[in-house]
Amino acid sequence: MLKKVTASILSLALGTTILAGCGGNEGGGAEDGKVTLELFSNKAESIDTYKGIIAEFEEQNPDIKIKLDAPPEAETVLKTRLTKNDLPDIMSIGGNATYGELGRAGVLHDFTDSELLKSIQPSYVDMIGRLVGTEEEGVFGLPYATNANTVIYNKQKFEELGLEVPKTWDEFIAILDKAKAAGEIPIYFTLKDAWTGMISWNSLGANIAGEDFAEKKTAGDTTFVKSYDEVADKMLTLTEYGHKDNMGVAYGDGNNAFASGKGVMYIQGNWAIPEIVKASPDIELGTFAMPVTNDPAQNKLVSGVDVLLTMSEETDHKEEAMKFIEFMMNKDTSKRYIDEQKAFSAIEEVFQEDPVFEGIKTNFETGAITSFPDHYYPAGMGAENLVQEFLIEKKKEPFLKKLDSEWEKVQNR
Amino acid sequence: MKKKNSVYMLIAIPAFILFFIFHTYPTLQGIFYSFTDWKGYGDWSFVGIKNYLNVFKDERALDAYGFTFKFAIISTILVNIFSLLVAMGLNGKIKFQKTLRAIYFLPYILSILIVGFIFNFIFTHFLPGIGESLGIEFLSKNILGDPKLAWLGIVLVAVWQSVAFNTILYLAGLVTISEDIYEAASIDGAGVWTKFWKITFPLIAPFFTINMVLAMKGFLMVFDQIVALTGGGPGKSTESISLLIYRGGFEGGEFAYQSANAVIYFIVIVVISIIQLKFLEKREVEN
Repeated sequence: MLKKVTASILSLALGTTILAGCGGNEGGGAEDGKVTLELFSNKAESIDTYKGIIAEFEEQNPDIKIKLDAPPEAETVLKTRLTKNDLPDIMSIGGNATYGELGRAGVLHDFTDSELLKSIQPSYVDMIGRLVGTEEEGVFGLPYATNANTVIYNKQKFEELGLEVPKTWDEFIAILDKAKAAGEIPIYFTLKDAWTGMISWNSLGANIAGEDFAEKKTAGDTTFVKSYDEVADKMLTLTEYGHKDNMGVAYGDGNNAFASGKGVMYIQGNWAIPEIVKASPDIELGTFAMPVTNDPAQNKLVSGVDVLLTMSEETDHKEEAMKFIEFMMNKDTSKRYIDEQKAFSAIEEVFQEDPVFEGIKTNFETGAITSFPDHYYPAGMGAENLVQEFLIEKKKEPFLKKLDSEWEKVQNR
Repeated sequence: MKKKNSVYMLIAIPAFILFFIFHTYPTLQGIFYSFTDWKGYGDWSFVGIKNYLNVFKDERALDAYGFTFKFAIISTILVNIFSLLVAMGLNGKIKFQKTLRAIYFLPYILSILIVGFIFNFIFTHFLPGIGESLGIEFLSKNILGDPKLAWLGIVLVAVWQSVAFNTILYLAGLVTISEDIYEAASIDGAGVWTKFWKITFPLIAPFFTINMVLAMKGFLMVFDQIVALTGGGPGKSTESISLLIYRGGFEGGEFAYQSANAVIYFIVIVVISIIQLKFLEKREVEN
């Protein structure tokens, strides 16, 4: 009896080891002399671009194979994999709170001594450095592509309505009124997806509450109630210029609607442009930074690190992974990436020349740029759903207090 | 006898081991981590019951409890009414009975996520179009974008999908009732209502119990439908507890805190299921 039990347990254990063996090989297997690397990307928009770049790389390096993995809810997937100690070899992720956590967890390669770092604009290296904080020394990612939080506008409609790109908040409101009076939808909102509300929120927050809000808030020097009052008011003002189902349209549907000529302006990042153009190839678009205050010199463009490249400290194939990152960072590939993705490059002397970005070009040239405030909020507070709720209920005071209490609550855990 | 025993053991032990490895062990791990400040990775230390105390002070968790219970109770009632009706219809002497049974079972085979995405499309594109052309104000907007109505959309999808499974259980119960009893009742002059309340309903009581418990438990853990339809929005109006635990635990780096939340929720579900069983079984015995 006992023997039988032992035998069955043994056979089961054997079975599991065999299974485990299979799983292990999949990750960084070296079948037929080829090294397979996993490239993890958090952007569904860039899948085709990456496929093209990978094909070119594999042609030049026949002994390296790159497997692209760009799952939905990528950041959650990445964190889950971190829990399992199973990080992908190469990661192409956003410069946000998740990167900060990974950096602090000490699982990413430190690029401090890398030659590649010298070719990157230092302001972006600083930006991601602040995400990691001071507890951990080092540069754990290479900023690659950057983005811009813009107001996208339909050029044809601007001409028809006789509108000019606004320089101040009052001018901005004036053109919104004019568009509304003409029976157009001034701003096409897609607030069913909570994160799309953060585009306006970030432009307003960065310019009104200041770049160092998160640091001050953590130190106890300021609160949302004190610094975000005007932000909340202006958020509500903007939603008055939406369409009748602001809360019912999601991002994907919004891109199609805007492409088909609904709405004069669309508050979105540069990443939405390829999607809009895909839906309507003939559309003529322009962009400008939302003028948040009435002093044009104060109005900065919110830009962040959209993609940074990094690799796992634990990977068995550091050399090969480095080779791919070097290939990505060379000027030709970076140019190709930003052209296809309508993004901006973090690499020196690689410029985005698409006429769509005429309106924000000067911001990049003069450095009138500030970072995304919400990237520095504690991740657990779920700010986007709170903002979405506020836009529905429109109760400013309780909302700002709630932001403060959620922030503190998450920090105390 | 001894030989028979060892056969049972051979069947039971592998199942037990698998269940333990993939179910019991992670549960114990979760309970363990709920007493720490683990973020899901890296270093951690014990913090005692701090996480538990914080859950009780967490308004967001309380809101999620409110929504989940409202959703689960209403959906459970609706599912049981509809599936009992459908089951009685399918049990009657109708044409294409087998084909119809198969068709009514289809929604259960489909993945909840896919059903959710399809309904999402219907709510966003079809219904507002119909509402607009008929001039019905509340239909002309996407109901998923309205915090007061979004939960109804989720109830609709959840009920539509789970009626299939409960119907099968009720059908299984209905076929156990002998035709003779109905014939006897007819001779005594019982109408349709009397037959239902005095014969059908009491005789399928055990199936009613299991359906209530299973449906309630399933709806309390609602997750997929919400991910596919609203993502917890608008605002936090459709944030269920499972979604909150998942979001906070994996996206927000609050693994330990949400583990505590999960442990509490586990206890709540167990208690509710036991109360339901006790209460409904008592009813079975009385009949």
